[in-house]
Amino acid sequence: MAVLVLLGLLIQTVEHIVLVVQKDAALWKVFLYMGITVVYLLTVWFWLIVPYKRSERMIQRFLEGHIIIESSDFDEVLLTPSIRRQMEATDKILKSPQMIDINRRQAQYLALQNQINPHFLYNTLESIRGEALIAGLDSVADMTEALAKFFRYTITKVENLVCVEEELDNCETYFRIQQYRFGDRLKLHIAYEEEDKDIIMSCGIPKLTLQPILENSIIHGTERKVGTSNLRIKFECTKKRLIIRISDDGVGMRIEALAELNDRLSRNDNNITGEEGKKGGIALTNVNNRIHLIFGEEYGMHVYSIPGKGTDVEITIPITSLSDYDEMEHLRGNQKKDGVR
Amino acid sequence: MRQEVLRMEQVTYVEKGITRLENFSMQIYEGEIMGFMPASGHGLSAFLKLLLVNHPLHDGFIYYREELVNSWRESRKDNNRISIVYDKSCLVEGMTVAENIFVLRQGFRQRIIRRSLLRKQLEPFLEEIGMDISPDSYVEKLSYFERVVVEILRAVILGHRLIVLNEIGTRISETESKKLYLILRKYASQGIAFLYITLHFEEALQICDRMVLVSYGRVQKVIQKQEMVLDILLEYPEEFNDLVRGHMEKQKEGKIDTRKDIVLELKNITCEALQNISIKIGRGECLVVQSLDSIVYQSLTGLATGELLPERGDILLEGREISMGNNRDVAVIREQPNESMIFQGMSYIDNLCIGLFRRLSNSWQDDKVRKSIQLEYGPILGQEVFYSQVEDLTEQQKYALVYTRILLQKPKVVFCIQPFKGADISHRMFIWKMLEMLLEKGIAVVILAINLADSMSCADRLLRIDSKGLMIEMSRKEFPMLIGTVPWVHLYQKKEKMENNT
Repeated sequence: MAVLVLLGLLIQTVEHIVLVVQKDAALWKVFLYMGITVVYLLTVWFWLIVPYKRSERMIQRFLEGHIIIESSDFDEVLLTPSIRRQMEATDKILKSPQMIDINRRQAQYLALQNQINPHFLYNTLESIRGEALIAGLDSVADMTEALAKFFRYTITKVENLVCVEEELDNCETYFRIQQYRFGDRLKLHIAYEEEDKDIIMSCGIPKLTLQPILENSIIHGTERKVGTSNLRIKFECTKKRLIIRISDDGVGMRIEALAELNDRLSRNDNNITGEEGKKGGIALTNVNNRIHLIFGEEYGMHVYSIPGKGTDVEITIPITSLSDYDEMEHLRGNQKKDGVR
Repeated sequence: MRQEVLRMEQVTYVEKGITRLENFSMQIYEGEIMGFMPASGHGLSAFLKLLLVNHPLHDGFIYYREELVNSWRESRKDNNRISIVYDKSCLVEGMTVAENIFVLRQGFRQRIIRRSLLRKQLEPFLEEIGMDISPDSYVEKLSYFERVVVEILRAVILGHRLIVLNEIGTRISETESKKLYLILRKYASQGIAFLYITLHFEEALQICDRMVLVSYGRVQKVIQKQEMVLDILLEYPEEFNDLVRGHMEKQKEGKIDTRKDIVLELKNITCEALQNISIKIGRGECLVVQSLDSIVYQSLTGLATGELLPERGDILLEGREISMGNNRDVAVIREQPNESMIFQGMSYIDNLCIGLFRRLSNSWQDDKVRKSIQLEYGPILGQEVFYSQVEDLTEQQKYALVYTRILLQKPKVVFCIQPFKGADISHRMFIWKMLEMLLEKGIAVVILAINLADSMSCADRLLRIDSKGLMIEMSRKEFPMLIGTVPWVHLYQKKEKMENNT
């Protein structure tokens, strides 16, 4: 249709040019038709072609597996009311509390690996600890205490965000448990600038972000290595971002495996698309998905590795205190209500 | 709290259907000198292009000074306030230093150029970094190092907070490098960040705070400050390390006796910066001639290519006097031969036989000769290259073409001008093997270099010459005495330790 109109305009313009040459028509008519053609072309370009291209691009990204997309990205590409409704429905499903909850529960499940009644577990662990103390087995008592603390943190706190200090504390507890297994073969180093300590420690972070990565580093990186292994957690902050780097000097990853993992992280691929043959790295994709859901896709995780030399997992999140986050959530809630009205 | 100057987050950049950068993530902080080492050249030019201009991304985000400047959602195609100092100077010849810095910048509106004012404005900057360059000098009169400094100054004056130095180390002498490092540190302390692109760990170690290792358009590893130790860094190019180490273990000491079997002799040569220089080169020997000054380097390369004639002294080939540049027994492999020694528009076989006509004058017409060359070298070079356009060859195929051409020419001496310059690790390994092949055929190889780079991996003897005519000669046994930051010296030092222990 648009092409036919354009063709009509062009024919009119050419016809008038011919008439002007034959001195049968006024020159202003030629300019008028030329003007209308240019305006028409610009209108088609900006209102039809550009949005169509954007729409194609967004759909292409969605098909490539970038399933979490900011709703604002769709504002300029909604060609018809039905596409808008369709996109709103998709966004609603992907951003729903249930989706975040699924990811959180998956993290809890990965941490626990089985379904145990938490109260029964705490009580049993406390009893073991008491028995161990009476028997003078301090190491067993300490280990049991660490295990109980770790389970309590994993199961009981149900918020999305905790502060870095709590998360780091949980990491240290987890590391204590692992140290009973590995002894001096495993060392943990935590580093940050002393002047930034307050900002770093009070910064909000999705719960169970660091521990699964630490666990990954131990299982896939250092467990298979001969000799002492070092794990490092380094915090760096800029005005807007907190950068956390969890490094190990373990066996590292093959180039192909690393590329595939980073590809999955960039596409938020948690295998809900049902593609076969992508196993492993669930903990990392889970953490990454939660960061994307909570903070947006500008933040997330990237993995660096060299075979035989070790792996670094770098997490980037915005600098937000827990109160900032609550306020943000409150505002989001209000906006949604306004939308409903 | 640190401020980021540049952040690239999961950047994927596709050019003409080829993915140049894939999930590329890195960040540079204010006041930091970040090393950048590409294990392969793939994606480097695209990376530099993206730093300068915000081209549309396939995926990811780019931030400059913590502000989003480019993303997959929106690319404005505008310029970033980032400067790149290339291996080849971007200064405009025919203009003075001050004019290059002030007049060529955007927003300069004066119709009449007041040189005295420009000079006044520039002098404090030059004083600050202790450079003795006249603001009124024409840039073509400056040395390579001075041009680099002028380009850095221009970026600083433009207010750019990130300056990229692309492989400048190969053209700068040791003393100049030290000066350059002081200048970089000075500006880094003022918050300016530098991205130092190099192909050698040893070079990065001297100046960089952290380093990014890039392979095929992906960041493989960001080496942190505490890991910037030579022993750790040297483990990364494992394959290359093993290759050179294996060769060194096999090699017998003292196989070359330069006194008995001299092929080429430069006798009391004086020309330009060379003052009464005498050099003897033995058959099958690899001699590295390091110029401690860029003027000496220019004179030496001029002499080797025949562009410069000696004012005094003789050049003797097997006792007979010769002139360089027009002798089939002396070949020259120029800098980056994959670009400079490939003749586009000519077929592959013509490119290959170009050095042969001195041996077989009718090789141009004789199809039998060309066919027999194709038959002999086809299995080595690959049959497909003979049917390809030379411009379509891969970099490795281009290097192979040039070195095979030299083999066909069968010279007695080959002058290689910075043979490893601009080559990534895999290409360097290939060049190294090619040089080995020339040496095995009994051809003497003379490597002319400013920066020793990989030359030490195959050197039998090292000759260091400065502009005052001072020459220091070192045999293989004396190599361990060189400083540890010279590439490959660690292997000689290890070998010496092992020998001492046994």
